[in-house]
Amino acid sequence: MEDLTYVPHWVLNVGNYKITLNSVTLLTTWGIMAVLVVFSLMLAKRIRTVPGGWQTISEVLIDGFYGMVIDALGPEIGPKYFPMICIMFIFLVLCNWIGILPYMSEPTKDINTPLGLGIMGFFIAHGTAIKVKGIKQYVKEYFQPIFFMMPLNVVGEIAKVISISFRLFGNIMGGSIIILVVSHLVYQLILPPFLYGFFGLFVGTVQAFVFTMLTMVYISVQIR
Amino acid sequence: MDIQLCAKVAAFLGAGMAMGFGAIGSGIGEGYAARQACEGMGRQPSVADELLRTMLVGQAVAESTGIYSLVVALLLLFYDFSNVRFIQIPAFFSAGLCMGLGAIGPGIGEGFTAGKACEAIARNPETAPLVIRTMLVGQAVSESTGIYSLVVALLLIFVV
Repeated sequence: MEDLTYVPHWVLNVGNYKITLNSVTLLTTWGIMAVLVVFSLMLAKRIRTVPGGWQTISEVLIDGFYGMVIDALGPEIGPKYFPMICIMFIFLVLCNWIGILPYMSEPTKDINTPLGLGIMGFFIAHGTAIKVKGIKQYVKEYFQPIFFMMPLNVVGEIAKVISISFRLFGNIMGGSIIILVVSHLVYQLILPPFLYGFFGLFVGTVQAFVFTMLTMVYISVQIR
Repeated sequence: MDIQLCAKVAAFLGAGMAMGFGAIGSGIGEGYAARQACEGMGRQPSVADELLRTMLVGQAVAESTGIYSLVVALLLLFYDFSNVRFIQIPAFFSAGLCMGLGAIGPGIGEGFTAGKACEAIARNPETAPLVIRTMLVGQAVSESTGIYSLVVALLLIFVV
């Protein structure tokens, strides 16, 4: 069972410090990002009035998301944050789905990926709050409803980051452990494709959606 | 006494408790969701497809704490006991207890959310997208405590 918790990594020695890079996670995320960039560039080059197959699919996805983002963030801020939220969803869906390919492992199975995205969402939400409300009002809200609630409010904000990132990590990690153990128990017969379908495709999509929606909700709670 | 044997006893007890207690919450919650979906279908047979979909998505999310319990139980069962330390004996036991009891609350709560979402869709089918979105976000937030249990259980197994 050690192979479950083992993450392949490179260790770099820079002066007196040791820098550990998780090689497979890094390569997979950069690969997914490269695929997304190339795909978007190719798609953007030939946008037609009468859409082709890929253009229709992406238009449906983007239209659906656009409505949701505008509903949650309002017509002024919404369009600015829409690209970030939409690409976060597509990136996470690909990250969660890549585990169904042989010899690939989900980058979201490594806690560093969800935690990084969670911390990014935290800074975006609070930065937006300071920009929209002004620093004075922002600080004042920590002392609501009574001044001694301040520590509790701070802890609540930090708990949001932990819960959002560990939710994604726990679901993907749990799914892959169950796939591994159950496939081993049934000698790789019959069951594994269905397990990959449920834990890889279904749970992966739902959790990517939940992560994106929660990031959006945290931003919209902060600016209100 | 032999530390390895003690650790095995503690881990097996923990695995049983994790899955045993962990099944309670998800079971109650998912049953409640199914009940509300049946009721809604009886009232509004025309939205049966929508209700079935909502019920399955809601139940799948409500089941996640049960899946965490299964993960912790499997990790305890298949742990490599070759070089355990004395302090790991209580840690294995409490990892199982932590995940098992921690899974009860979120399971029931998320199942109730899924059930009420089915009821709302049966009453007012036009609001289905809004209801499903709110249901997913609400369930995700109420799952937080279950995730804290999972984090503590994993820390107890691998870090202590």
